[in-house]
Amino acid sequence: MEKKTYTSTEGLLEAGKLNELRKLLIGLSQEELNRLQNLLNDPHEFAEELSTLLPYAIRKMIEKGELTVDTLLPFVEDAMHKSIQKNPQRLADILFPVMGPAIRKAVAEDLKRMVAAINASLETGFSPKTIKWRLQALISKRTFTEIVLANSYVYHVSHVFLIHRETGLLLREELAPESQPLESDLISSMLTAIRDFAHDSFKSATPGSLDEIQVGELKILVEQGPFAIIAAVIEGQPPADYRLTLMETIEAVHFNHGIDLEKFNGDTSSFVHTSKFLQTSLIKEKKEKKVRPPYILIVLLIILLSVAGYLLVQRIQRNSKYTEFASKLESIPGYHLTSYSIKSKSIIIKGLKDRLADDYSQIASDAGIEASEIKMHLESFISADSAIVIKRAQRALQPPAGVKLWFDKGVLYLSGTSSQEWQNAFEGKISSIYGIDGIDISELNQQKVDLKWIIPSIEKQRFLFEINVVSLDSQQQIQFDSLVKAAVNLDAYNQLYGKKLAIYVRSFTNRNGNIEANERVASKRAEEFMTLLEQAGVKKELLKGQVLFAEDLTESVYLRSVHFAVFDTKPTQE
Amino acid sequence: MIKKKIAMLGAFAVGKTSLVQQFVNSIFSEKYQTTIGVKIDQKQISIDGHDMTLMLWDLYGDDDFMKMKPSYLIGSSGYFLVADGTRNETIEVAVQLQSMASATTNNAPFILLINKSDLAETWEIPAETIHSLQQKGWQVLLTSAKENLMVEEAFVELARRML
Repeated sequence: MEKKTYTSTEGLLEAGKLNELRKLLIGLSQEELNRLQNLLNDPHEFAEELSTLLPYAIRKMIEKGELTVDTLLPFVEDAMHKSIQKNPQRLADILFPVMGPAIRKAVAEDLKRMVAAINASLETGFSPKTIKWRLQALISKRTFTEIVLANSYVYHVSHVFLIHRETGLLLREELAPESQPLESDLISSMLTAIRDFAHDSFKSATPGSLDEIQVGELKILVEQGPFAIIAAVIEGQPPADYRLTLMETIEAVHFNHGIDLEKFNGDTSSFVHTSKFLQTSLIKEKKEKKVRPPYILIVLLIILLSVAGYLLVQRIQRNSKYTEFASKLESIPGYHLTSYSIKSKSIIIKGLKDRLADDYSQIASDAGIEASEIKMHLESFISADSAIVIKRAQRALQPPAGVKLWFDKGVLYLSGTSSQEWQNAFEGKISSIYGIDGIDISELNQQKVDLKWIIPSIEKQRFLFEINVVSLDSQQQIQFDSLVKAAVNLDAYNQLYGKKLAIYVRSFTNRNGNIEANERVASKRAEEFMTLLEQAGVKKELLKGQVLFAEDLTESVYLRSVHFAVFDTKPTQE
Repeated sequence: MIKKKIAMLGAFAVGKTSLVQQFVNSIFSEKYQTTIGVKIDQKQISIDGHDMTLMLWDLYGDDDFMKMKPSYLIGSSGYFLVADGTRNETIEVAVQLQSMASATTNNAPFILLINKSDLAETWEIPAETIHSLQQKGWQVLLTSAKENLMVEEAFVELARRML
């Protein structure tokens, strides 16, 4: 037998002895060691290896409590925060399938609550309309809410059923928030039976051709797909394109759940997600309220507007009247208005009034304003208005008839003819007239008094009377005025020159008939003239009456006539 | 939720409707049977922890005035054949119906219910007939709608077989 000797490591390895020894010492074979070496050298390999271990390790850490939600939370939150900052759309896409149902559920809950609240308010509401609806509900044995909905909407889809076409089993149902639940499974099956019945009875060429069932105002629209049908329960008349909506819905259901439908074995849980399609068919349209012309309101409004218009016109007219009155009052010399206000049926005027100003009653009367409508609060003042200054001057100066006054820019102008005496007197009075700064008498002439024309003017007068007539007739009255003028001038002459020229009033008669009667009438005529002349301003002491008989005179005179003669009662002492 | 369609088949006046009435509370009137030929009822049951909704299609039995409409059978997950124990000929009708139903429902499970088991005195169906049907693999139950015998058990059994 040949005996072999192992002298080198190579020899040992070749013989597998070293491997055996290593295995005995550390429990790993050469292949395992090589694999570990590779893992350490190749990061990709190492990552691959770790990826299988990490989930397990994490799970173990969680089980041991070394890794908790609290410890992970900050990292997760931070990661999400950064993710949202970086690309919000990504998280939105991730959450989309969750958010939709959650939002719908929340909205549905809110709607339910709202409907409940509306229902409660309707239940307690008390109006002719609600009473009518309540009666309808009572008679039809439907809920009050349903009646309200039926009357409030042009149409509303209360239920949508997704029905398996072959079995007639209900796969999914969606109902409007305000609708009452139905025996949907039974209805679905019965609907299928009715469709089959119609198909069998009328030998329709196309299966499932029953598209619409109408019971009163209730309508069931049916749209079919290869494996399922959709049925919508509608109250009222839906829009023309609603069937298209149903078609799109059933198409969407088939597109997304085609396999589930084809292999349907009675398990409806996989059709939960068809809700989002079915809900698109739950539509409604609220009735527009009929706008009926509110006749009573219109009539009342017209009456109200007429009354208001009448009152307004009255008020405008009254205000206009008052304003015009105030304006006219302001224009009257001697008035100065500080304010005026119109209240209801009166005008309140505040201001100043000169005591020489004219009364306003005439303009009030012209404007159609009663005295009771005017409330005057006028304080006295002295006006510098031209008209008032002239009035004031006339009062103070008492100018004779031939003298005219006018006022301009503070200067009082006098013109005409006056006696010297009057002129002498007025100058002293000027200073007492308020408002006059100066006086202009350049056009004031002194009256010329001359006996040359005065005496003839008196002595030429002849007044003839009928028998027993004493008074002057109208013609004689005009003649008498000339006599008076001449007599006044005579008086002025007397005053001017200090004379005492008097007038004889000579009444002529004769002795025919009753002499006494004749004398008496003649005397009366003389007295009549004396009285009239005295009344006209001729001093009494300058008048002397005489009765003369024609038989006693040398010259011939008219019987029953009155003559005048001037004589000097105080002859000049030569 | 599991939903299944069950059909009730049988000759005229064998007690199909009475059996269903013992099992469910119906909302539809029986007049539907004489008008469109079917009345549908619903029953919720729980089988081995599974909640099931059974939709019971009570089909009008053949008579001189109306024929059963086979289209109503389509989609059934199971069916009852109902015979009247006091009328032997109803078994033959049941056998004929089974042949048609089996083809329509793609061999769905079924149970033969021989009803009116409370009427022993007028019972016509011999035990041999029942035995021979059982030999063919049919499940046969004797029921009494009037006495409520084996009614619920029959429905539960069919439901179990449909699962």
